[in-house]
This record gives sequence, structure tokens and C-alpha cells, in this order.
Amino acid sequence: MLGELGMRGDGGGCGGLVNAPCPFSGVLAHLSALETESVRLVELQREAWRQQATREELCATVERLRAQRDQLRAKVLSATSLQQVMTEVDQENEEKRSEEEKSAGDSQLHMSLLTARLSHVKNLLRAHHLIGGYDITETRRGKGVCFSIATAFEDRTLETYNVEMDLARTMRICRHNIPPFIPLERLAQENFQSDIMAFLDSLSMHLNAYVGRRQQVRLIQELFHGSVKVLESNALCSILVLRCRQVGEKKAAALCTLEYGDPTRCLPTRVTIDSEEKTLTDSPQWNEIQALFLETPAHQALLAIRREERIA
Amino acid sequence: MEDVAKELLSRLVRRIPLVRLRHVLGRWERLSKTQLLSLDFTQPKWALCENLLSLCEENEIAVKDLTEIEMLYRSEYPDQGVWHVFQLVDTSEESLSSDFMHFRDQFKANLKDLINHVSIKMKKLEDESVWIRIAWGGNFSRPNHLKPTYVVHHLQTPYVFVSSLANKHKPLLFQALALSAHCGSVKDVNLSGRCLTALRDLSMRQYKQVFPSRHQKRLEERDLLPNPSIENEHIKLAEYKQQVASEVFGDGVLPKLETAVYKLETKYREHGSENLARRDEPFRGVVKFSSSNLLESLKYCVSSGMASTPVTPLLSSITHKGRNYFVIKDKQHGSVPNTSASKF
Repeated sequence: MLGELGMRGDGGGCGGLVNAPCPFSGVLAHLSALETESVRLVELQREAWRQQATREELCATVERLRAQRDQLRAKVLSATSLQQVMTEVDQENEEKRSEEEKSAGDSQLHMSLLTARLSHVKNLLRAHHLIGGYDITETRRGKGVCFSIATAFEDRTLETYNVEMDLARTMRICRHNIPPFIPLERLAQENFQSDIMAFLDSLSMHLNAYVGRRQQVRLIQELFHGSVKVLESNALCSILVLRCRQVGEKKAAALCTLEYGDPTRCLPTRVTIDSEEKTLTDSPQWNEIQALFLETPAHQALLAIRREERIA
Repeated sequence: MEDVAKELLSRLVRRIPLVRLRHVLGRWERLSKTQLLSLDFTQPKWALCENLLSLCEENEIAVKDLTEIEMLYRSEYPDQGVWHVFQLVDTSEESLSSDFMHFRDQFKANLKDLINHVSIKMKKLEDESVWIRIAWGGNFSRPNHLKPTYVVHHLQTPYVFVSSLANKHKPLLFQALALSAHCGSVKDVNLSGRCLTALRDLSMRQYKQVFPSRHQKRLEERDLLPNPSIENEHIKLAEYKQQVASEVFGDGVLPKLETAVYKLETKYREHGSENLARRDEPFRGVVKFSSSNLLESLKYCVSSGMASTPVTPLLSSITHKGRNYFVIKDKQHGSVPNTSASKF
């Protein structure tokens, strides 16, 4: 600015002010006066702008506060109206509405509804676990999960088996306590990556069937201590050879062989009965017994046969 | 009696402690009660051996019967010698339905097809384990009953435990096992030790494992910190450590594993010793942990805070993978140590 003024002063100003005693000093004084004036004006203008901006800002704040006030007013109105409505309703049927009276506003009501729903879901999960569903727990800060599979036989809860999985890269089993004769790897290969529920279902079927068969052997040993002898069984309990004595003078021994061909079931797929007395094994009663073994758990079948007094 | 029988008997008497010998002979059922009572177990062993020899000659007892004493002794007291664990891989569904009789006949037939001079004795114990005693012979020599191989297999499971097997007999045994147990091949799982039950529990996961659960039971053994005020401060941390230790190593009585061996084939990494770090070939070394109960020791290290949590995979692999021999190599690209499978 100073430079521009100075240039003009040098060019035009010198020619115009001829009468001045010292033309240069007068021009310079004038110029400096003009300069201070212009600086003052600029300052004033800036001040004005600043004030304008502040005013605008304040206006905006006022506007916002007004809106807020209106909102609050509306809220208060609605709340009071809700309260009015509720008190009116309450007055109409106080006994029914005693619970709602306690909740002061709709937000609180909402919260309590959510809490109720959460506890409901939790209870459902717990119930699901209690009736033998899979329990799932997060492990290693979300990098893995642990499934627990509960097993039961005839209303009795037996072992709980666990499979811990690593979810970091691809899903894979990292730890478990499944017995070695359950074909876990084969089941995992079949439908592990695609359908986790199908995998868990088939695993659960294998485990429940195994536990069920084992429990039958235990029950036979407990209930028929001395009368029925378990001659042979194996780790998977897929074969069971029983020796029992028939009622009668001869007390002929009978040998029942139960073969559990389907590892997912706790009932045998084949039953053969050999007896010292050949005539008995061909009789219709023995066929009946054979059918009974195929349809009911072994210990129950034996109990039924004993009730009919066919075995000692 | 044959010389072999005499030697076998004297060897057995020398090796078996007297208390155990008395128990085993009682179970043997080849000597009558009066004969058993006539034996004086307070005698020195050589005199006892003489007496036994005369009784055996009286009863016309053969080598076959004497091997039974040895088998009884080994199965009653299995924690002798080193057992190696092998796994049957690619098992077919048939393996789930095999019974002892079938397995026995198959195994005997298969092994005798492979080698002419071999003596096999098999029996099934009450805990469903099948014990196999194999005395190997050469092409022109009779089976050596003084150095038999013992094999323990639980039918329907993919695990085989083998003791004192010579390398030259390994392929024969594995082929016979694979054929009779209906599996593709036999794999070394790099787990070995003296305590057979520990190896069985570890590989078949029969020890008490702890899994994270929402219905958490409180673990036992809480007296880690003796000072009550410190305990209050640290109880959460102590519980966490205890939980992690139990999840990795198990709870209750842990399998009695004695050793864990780590073979290092990694590059040496340390600032300062440039000579070692600059070498191209790996720095070879063996780290061996031994303890009367290694898992118990490692668990204590974690629960007491001596080892950091979460537990390094090098330690947790012992229980998770069921092995105690590891070879640690550098990855081809990158520097993370890798626990790779290896052969003995």
C-alpha cells in the first residue's frame, strides 16, 4: 500500500503542488497522513467485521437455544400429557396398572422392557443348556469358542464333552476331550466348514449313543448282579455278550449277543440268542425276546424278561 | 527243560523284585498251591531260582509258559522301559467294529507272513487293552525270547504303545498292525516316556481337562498367596493364572510325563555376539526338561507367575498335541519359530 501511494505521489503529485515551499516534504507529510488514515480505516473495518461475526454467532446460539427450549417444552408437555393420561388410566383401574405407575417416563419403560427381554433370553439359553443343548463360550478374547455337549440317557445327565475351536484364521479344532474311538476327524471332515450345527448334531448323536450304550452295560451289571453276566464288551460298547440262566429244572444257560451296528444309536441292530437247549431258541417266545432286545434298551428288556420269569 | 527256558527263568528271577515275583507267580496258575507255599522268598535269588527250576521241570513247563510270567509282570507293572506312542492313521470304519479274536488272528497271520521265525503271544486285559509280546528271530535263527518287543493297543482307538522295538523290526510290525487294525499307515506321534498310563491318558485325553465355561466351577488349590491382604489384591490375577494353567495342563492328577525335548535348529539371534549371528547354518542345540512329573511342574510355573500367560505354544503343545519331542526350525520366510514334525 505504501509503495503504491509513493509511486503515485512521485509521478502525479509533484507536478500538481507547485506553490508549496518545499514540495517534497509537504507531499510526504500528506502521504503519511493519508497512510495513517487508511490504516485506521482498515482497523475500523476489521473491527466491524469482527463484531458482525460475533453477532452472527450469537444469533445462531440464540436460535439453537430457542429450538432446544421448544424441544424441551414439547417434551415436558408430552410427558405431562402422558402422565396425565396414565394417571387418568390409573384412576380408572388402579389395581391393574399399579406396575406402570412406578415407571416415570417412556425411556425408563423402554429400559425396563429391554432388561426384561435380556433376562428372558438368558433364561432361554440356560434352559437350552439344561435340556442338553450346546453351550457356547467365548475364549481367548474372541479368538476362539468352546462348545460343550452334554449327554444324557434315560433322564439322567451324564458326561459333558467339550470341543474348543480356534477362529483366528480358518476354523479348526484345537482341543477337546472326546473319547478316541469317536470318529471326530471324520465327522469334522464331513461338515465342519460348511455347517457347524450339522457337525455338532452328528457329534452329539455319536456321543449320546455311546454314553447310552455304556450306561446300559453299567445298569445291567448293577441291576442283575450275579444273575446276568457281561461276558464281553468293548471300548465303544458296540458289542455286548450276555450270559443268563433260564428258569427251569435244567437252568440252561443262554448267550445273548447284541451288536450295535449303528454308532449313532443306543439300540442294537442285530441280536442273536444261543441256548444250550436247542428247542427253546426256536420257540416263538424267544423270537419275542429277540424283538424286545431290538426295540428297548438292554437292561429294560432284561427286566421285562425277568418279570415274566423266564430268566433267573 | 531247554537251555533257553532255563536262561529265561533265571533272567526273570534276577530282574523281578521278590515281592512282585511272589504276586506274579501267584497269578501264573502253573504251580500248585503246595508248590507255591514250598517256595521260600526270603532265600537269596540264586537259591530261589534253583528251586523254581526244579518245580518247573517237575511240571514240564515250556518256554511258552515262562513268557507268560514275563507278560504278567510287564502288564501288572507297566512302568518299565521306555514306551513310544504311535498313531494309526487313515482308519477305516471297519476298525470300529473289530473284536479281539479277529484282531488276534489277523495280526498273527499277517506278521507270520512277513517273517518266518517269530513268536507272538497276545492277551486282552480287563481294561480292554491288548498286550502283544513279540520275540523276533532271524532268517536262520529261532525267536530270541530274551529281547522281546511289547506292544499295547486299545482296540477301536488309533493309538499303539511300543516298548523296545529294534529299527529293523519296525516296518514289519507296522505293516502287520496296519493290516490287522484296518488303517492306512502308522505314524510316530513323538511322545515317549516310562509311565504307560500317563502316555495313554495324554494321547487319549483321559485326564481331567478344564474347559472355559459360563457355569464356571471354582477350581481347587487356592492357597497361592499366604498373606490375606495381598491375597485380596491379587486374587483376580491369581485366579486368572490358575484358570489358564488348568486349561493348558489339566486339573487334578496330571499324567506323569517325565521329559520334554526341544531340538533347536534355528538361527542364533542376539545383539553383540556377531560371530554366531552371522553364521548361515542353524545353531543346533537340545533343550531338555525333566522332572518326576513335568506337567505338574510346568503348571506350577504358570500358576505361580514364573512363566508368562498366555502360555507359549511350545509348552501348551505338550498337552494339546500329545507329544514331548519337538524340532524347532526357522520358517523359510520370516522369523517365527515353527514346531515341525520330525522323526526320532
